[in-house]
Amino acid sequence: MISKQMLKFIGRRLIFLLITYIVATTIVFILPRVIPGNPLNQILSRLSQVAQANPEQIRAAEKTLMEQFAFDKPWYVQYFDFLGNALKGDLGTSVSYYPRKVLDLVIPVLPWTLLLLLPATIVAWFLGNSLGALAAYRRNSWIDKGVLTTSLIVSQIPYYWLGMIFIFFFGVKLGILPVGGAYSQGSFPNWSWSFVLDVLKHYILPFASIVVSAMGGWAIGMRLMVIYELGNDYVRFSEALGMNDKRIYKYVFRNSLLPQITGLALSLGGALGGALITEIIFNYPGTGFLLFRALTSLDYPLIQGIFVILIASIYLANFIVDFIYAVIDPRIRLGQEE
Amino acid sequence: MSESLVKIENIRAYYKLKNREVKAVDNVSFEIMENEIIGVVGESGCGKSTLSNVLLNNIIKPLTIVGGRVLFKSNGEYVEISSLTREEVRERFWGKEMSLIPQSAMNALMPTIKLSKYVEHLAQSHGIPKNELLKKARKRFEDVDLDPQWLNRYPFELSGGMRQRAVIAIATLLNPQLLIADEPTSALDVVNQKVFLKILLEMKRQGIVKSIIFVTHDIATIRQIADRMLVMYAGKIMEISPVDKIVEKPLNPYTEGLLNSVLTPEPEIKKRGITTIPGTPPNLIEPPSGCRFHPRCPKAMSVCKEKEPKLVEIEPQRKVACFLYSEERA
Amino acid sequence: MFKNMFKPLFKSKKFIIGLSIVLFFILLGIFGPMIYRVDPTEMTWDMEQAPSSTHPLGTDTYGRDILAQLLYGIRSSLYVGFLAALISLVIGTIVGTFSAVRRGITDDLLMSFTNIVLTTPSILIAILIASYLDVRSIEMIAVILGLFQWPWFARAIRAQLMSVLSREYVYLSKMAGYGDFRLIVEDLIPTIATYAFMSFVLFINGGIMGEASLSLIGLGPTEGISLGTILQWSVMMDAIRRGLWWWFVPPGIAIVAVTASLLIISTAMDEVFNPKLREE
Repeated sequence: MISKQMLKFIGRRLIFLLITYIVATTIVFILPRVIPGNPLNQILSRLSQVAQANPEQIRAAEKTLMEQFAFDKPWYVQYFDFLGNALKGDLGTSVSYYPRKVLDLVIPVLPWTLLLLLPATIVAWFLGNSLGALAAYRRNSWIDKGVLTTSLIVSQIPYYWLGMIFIFFFGVKLGILPVGGAYSQGSFPNWSWSFVLDVLKHYILPFASIVVSAMGGWAIGMRLMVIYELGNDYVRFSEALGMNDKRIYKYVFRNSLLPQITGLALSLGGALGGALITEIIFNYPGTGFLLFRALTSLDYPLIQGIFVILIASIYLANFIVDFIYAVIDPRIRLGQEE
Repeated sequence: MSESLVKIENIRAYYKLKNREVKAVDNVSFEIMENEIIGVVGESGCGKSTLSNVLLNNIIKPLTIVGGRVLFKSNGEYVEISSLTREEVRERFWGKEMSLIPQSAMNALMPTIKLSKYVEHLAQSHGIPKNELLKKARKRFEDVDLDPQWLNRYPFELSGGMRQRAVIAIATLLNPQLLIADEPTSALDVVNQKVFLKILLEMKRQGIVKSIIFVTHDIATIRQIADRMLVMYAGKIMEISPVDKIVEKPLNPYTEGLLNSVLTPEPEIKKRGITTIPGTPPNLIEPPSGCRFHPRCPKAMSVCKEKEPKLVEIEPQRKVACFLYSEERA
Repeated sequence: MFKNMFKPLFKSKKFIIGLSIVLFFILLGIFGPMIYRVDPTEMTWDMEQAPSSTHPLGTDTYGRDILAQLLYGIRSSLYVGFLAALISLVIGTIVGTFSAVRRGITDDLLMSFTNIVLTTPSILIAILIASYLDVRSIEMIAVILGLFQWPWFARAIRAQLMSVLSREYVYLSKMAGYGDFRLIVEDLIPTIATYAFMSFVLFINGGIMGEASLSLIGLGPTEGISLGTILQWSVMMDAIRRGLWWWFVPPGIAIVAVTASLLIISTAMDEVFNPKLREE
């Protein structure tokens, strides 16, 4: 069932993603060493301001930083050390949460981000595309004009601002939904029904913020794709053969959806950025929240670690989407000769 | 004596734009008989494609039928399809009684499903059992020289020529009475063209379709397949005649010009050489007065500028619209 | 030549509406602070006041007038957006042109580079770069944002150039004087110009949104007020949960209004310039 072409396609994407990942991590790594003004000094002065409590802690942190950022060794040695450690699962030690390790800090929060980002993006993708297709089928009707105008506006609303509005309206004014957090204060994560329901209640608003806003963008794009697709020869031929409209729309929808899958992959990076900031607005304990803390305290090892993991996740997701695309589109799966 | 399958009476089909009208088909009348292949010939922009749409009643704005009617013989009775809505005609006639072979077979087939699936969907749309239609499809594929195995493949897996044959097979699956071929050979090389025409003739011979109307700008192909030829210019019919007679002795100067501009390996042509008709096809928004061809006609007379010639039967089976053959002269 | 290109635009309703809104905000940004002469940084004792006659959009925690902040914010945000768009346009043009003209290895390398930038989650890298900078000027932010939007444009330019170059290539070799060269220029510039305008407009959007995102997490311009910084302050002071809607709603509306109108302009351009989308 798997053609040579499909393997070539997958193989090429894999190599591309690997190279891009290496480039990205190199950039992440090189940046602090390249930016003018020694960030190390900043961190240290920051730490001495912030950590009023423990001078010992500062010294320990200093030591860790020196080790991790090993400014005494040439940068490529540092880089390979870093890579080597990363492969072993050691992304360094956090400075602001010293002595906890970066990986141990990121792993617990990553699922919350994925729980928010992935379902929201996929639902937005599907709903938005369906709406866009509907608008295109009923070109120039009030449905079309309505969908287009609304989408043009809504697609430009930042997720986080929509979140603010939702919190204000539903949380503060109406008081029917929680104003933040992933679960009620004081409860501990467990698998009981009450906890799950609690999480869901807290999930609705951040989820909705992402879905409503992202939907707009997909609707606009899909509408264009379908309009274009409706002008294709097979539509005219199928009509002339007496094929009914419902079936033809299914054809058009299916063919227009394929490039949207690629679009989904490309949009993940941007969606992630928006989701991270939305987390901050909602005090949602995900990676975004952790990143925010890391940024404010200039905890560079943590920042670096978060980025490395996030970028890897994006590329992994990209690859999965590409794979799905290769399987779904018969032209790639079976290898188009032309 | 065969009867008419389609009667086109004084059809006027214009494209109505903001403040002007494009008179694409202007007062055209003719009949398509049962069991005949009629070729419609003309330069680009003469209205022949619009004619295909009129036959199907595929009238979408800005195209409007301004006058006249189209009668189609269905179940022994003539139905005025021009008075029905596009949707009605689509539901009752398209695929079943009249079908279309489009210009480019390359993209005519839905690219992301197997041909067999497509046939199943077709069966569903027409309310026929899937297996019945699939069986028919397999037989039809054999008729067009395609191994029925190809039904289980995707269109892109077939070569260009094979796809063209698959399109014919699928277009005629429900045995439509009328097959409309709209510039079907323009995108084909000579070898595939020959194969295509042969298959069309077979379709008719076997009674799979009753009549074929073949719309093209390529006279050479018409000669190989059509019984009658209809020459269109600027939305009007210039001449209708059996193919052999019209080639032997074209009556309308425009037809003569067209025939002279085609290079075929006949000794007379080699002697004569080819000539082109001077000038360009006219603007259909403001066509020339009188006979539309008069500005480019080598035999134009003063009456040609003033009055429009009517389509008159000069010899049995031959109609021409030209003042050279009528009593009205300067 | 350009006049012919742009006349049909002005017949499009969408274009007029979008352009009007954008112009309105540009004027607000330029002349607003001059007309409404209130110092946005002046702290007063009217802290966290709802909109009133003295303060049409209320005040923040430090008693600073929100309307004044908004006007300055619009100015900065538009400036950042514009600058970032310009930078993206320049980078995109250079990369696309070089790729198309040089071909061969240069083309392959540049296109790979373009693909890498395209796939990389730009916001993340932007955050990263911004976090390492101690002092971030508005121009610096614009540069950071401008580094990531150009890939689409570079690709399009490259495609256009390649098609034209291959067409005229034969003529080029037989070229006698400026005749054919002018042909290329007159053929090429309109196609690229239309795409450049559309992309430029969208880039401005990206710049404004990008700046807002960066500011919200504290990585915006270290000095000055932008729409993003207003939002950031409101979040820091928990304005949402405390119901101080006049603080965070107006900046958001401004952002959405400007970016949505720019998008409408771009869509209108697309409909006018792309024959496949025309309604007739």
